[in-house]
Amino acid sequence: MPTEYNLFPDSGGDPVIHLEEVAVSFRIPQERIPSLKEYAIRRIKRNLTYHDFWALGEVNLKIHRGEVLGIIGANGAGKSTLLKVISRVLRPTRGRVRVQGRVAPLLELGAGFDHELTGLENIYLNGMILGHSRKALAERLDWIVEFAGLKEFINAPLRTYSSGMLARLGFAVATAFQPEILIVDEILSVGDADFQRKSSDRIKGFQALGTTIILVSHSLDVIQTMCTRAIWLDHGRVEAEGSAELVVRKYQGHDKEKESKRLAEATRLESSQRLGNRRIEIVRVWLTDDQDRGKTIFKTGESLVLHMDYRPQSPTVSPIFGMAIHRQDGVHICGPNTFFSGLTFPELEHYGTVSYSIPCLPLLEGFYHITVAIVDKDDKEIYDYHDRAYPFRVVNSGGVFKERYGLMTLWGTWDLKAKELKTDLVHDRSKAYNKKDI
Amino acid sequence: MKESKLIEYDSQSPGGPFLAELKELLRYRGLLHLLVLNNIKTRYKRSVLGVLWTLLNPLLIMTVLAIAFSTLFRFSLLNYPVYLLSGLILWNFFSQTTTTAMQAITWGGSLIKRIYLPRTVFSVSALGSELINLILSLIPLFIIMMAMGHPFRPALLFLPLAILITAMFALGTGLIISTLAVFFVDAAHIYQIVLTAWFYLTPIIYPVDIIPGGYLTYLKLNPMYYLVDLFRTPLFLGRFPDPESLLIGLAWSFSSLLAGWWIFSRKADQLAYRI
Repeated sequence: MPTEYNLFPDSGGDPVIHLEEVAVSFRIPQERIPSLKEYAIRRIKRNLTYHDFWALGEVNLKIHRGEVLGIIGANGAGKSTLLKVISRVLRPTRGRVRVQGRVAPLLELGAGFDHELTGLENIYLNGMILGHSRKALAERLDWIVEFAGLKEFINAPLRTYSSGMLARLGFAVATAFQPEILIVDEILSVGDADFQRKSSDRIKGFQALGTTIILVSHSLDVIQTMCTRAIWLDHGRVEAEGSAELVVRKYQGHDKEKESKRLAEATRLESSQRLGNRRIEIVRVWLTDDQDRGKTIFKTGESLVLHMDYRPQSPTVSPIFGMAIHRQDGVHICGPNTFFSGLTFPELEHYGTVSYSIPCLPLLEGFYHITVAIVDKDDKEIYDYHDRAYPFRVVNSGGVFKERYGLMTLWGTWDLKAKELKTDLVHDRSKAYNKKDI
Repeated sequence: MKESKLIEYDSQSPGGPFLAELKELLRYRGLLHLLVLNNIKTRYKRSVLGVLWTLLNPLLIMTVLAIAFSTLFRFSLLNYPVYLLSGLILWNFFSQTTTTAMQAITWGGSLIKRIYLPRTVFSVSALGSELINLILSLIPLFIIMMAMGHPFRPALLFLPLAILITAMFALGTGLIISTLAVFFVDAAHIYQIVLTAWFYLTPIIYPVDIIPGGYLTYLKLNPMYYLVDLFRTPLFLGRFPDPESLLIGLAWSFSSLLAGWWIFSRKADQLAYRI
């Protein structure tokens, strides 16, 4: 490590960041009055109405040196506002913020980049915007260029850079010096896989050297593995504070409840998603487990049963019932139907329920949508078709089941027969992941 | 780390935003320097004639105005071009500084919403670039003075002080209208109209003595009246300005700068709140 990494001046046990009853309110005019003329007219008429929106309300927080604090919360809970208050972009409306040491915000990489200037000139521009001196930047110049991997391009104007190159340069300048406080907002997804590893190593290196880190992430795994402490923000207030595990658990409990509600609401069918002549109508669709408990959030390996109530307008001969699952990004995962399974029905005259059971769900963590359909026996006429109308979510159970790459698990087993070992090492996955254990 | 001094931020620092802003600006002086440099660089890179154009531009404008006014209005002034150009240069410095400061805050606004910077950095760097421009535009003035055989007197030593006083006034005014620009989109537009009126209310193209006596008192309410006088007297009349002009000019520039800095450092925080 270069010699610049000396011990920090001791902050004497005081918190590095100290927030006392910090509140931030945005004044939102009921109608936008951006012009002076209009403002004057309305002022005279006393016709100015405002509406104050409290993005943060009375937040008290002490962060000590060397801590890694995670911040979780839904979108709009005030996470970004809190980060902006600490990085002094926003002065709080009320309360007091005290920060000791230089804050390096990894929120906005490459602030002030000028695309007409060269990479080199931009290193100075961006670096000085971040508060570094020319001399200090000159000393770290080689490191920055090297870390960003832009040796050949550094004298080219920035407009010729790809977005990945811009991000790398921005990251390199932002982390050229060890800050006392580092603010990270889901930034680890910069550049290619190689650079992501490099940047995450850089952050971990800072942490090892005593930098205080504030991390905002939607990934609860990241929060749990990286943070020593966490807070959960909800509607601008600290809902929970404590060890990362504790806060994550509280948040998850609340999150699931809310999400079930949200998913259930999202199940309302929009007309644009519906096709068909309704000769047989699908009147209700719902998801349960094999114990017939209705749910919309499943764990990998659990049972999932899809039910659909249908009602024929007139007697219909051997229709085909089908379903499909798409991942949120549109990947079509499967599309089973009664015809593929060799089922033919007699003439259907009355209403009834069809269900499709998946005993052991192989899908990994993510959001999915179910399509349901009824078509005629030759698959030519659509009776009713609800396109991706029923969302559900799969979460990682976090127990023995650890797979997380790709779309699904194949329930495969690993087998190793080592020549030098007396006994064969066999790990039977089908036993380990028996669905009852999960 | 080389900078061993710990940077401290307190949203309720005892000195208030006025002093805090000054302290932070000093810390960011490197950026200030760089912004001025980039500003000058891009300005002269764009045109083919480059620096030459900045020299030619006032000469051309002056020629047009000089012909128009000296033949049409027959001002009884010896060396009218020197009178005109000296006033014009100072006026341009003032109007450009205030306008650029206002534009810079709109440009800087997007930056300020994302990252911390002392907010005055934009106005002060605008002043810096315009100061360099002012010094460059003194060259064509001196060329004309030489060509017309206008005398160079020791009173020219007063010029730096006159420029400094005007710079302070321009910065103060720039900060005040920048504050307005933060809140209202049409502030820039309205200011352009104000500037035009202001230009004609200042004795730049016309001599003071064409103003009827009764109106002179009103003309003297205009701070630019004194600032132009401070700058022009050493150049045109070759003597030091009256103490009256100096004192009133100083009073205007100090109060404008203090007021501008005070208002801006208090209100500029709102900038990050504007979405």
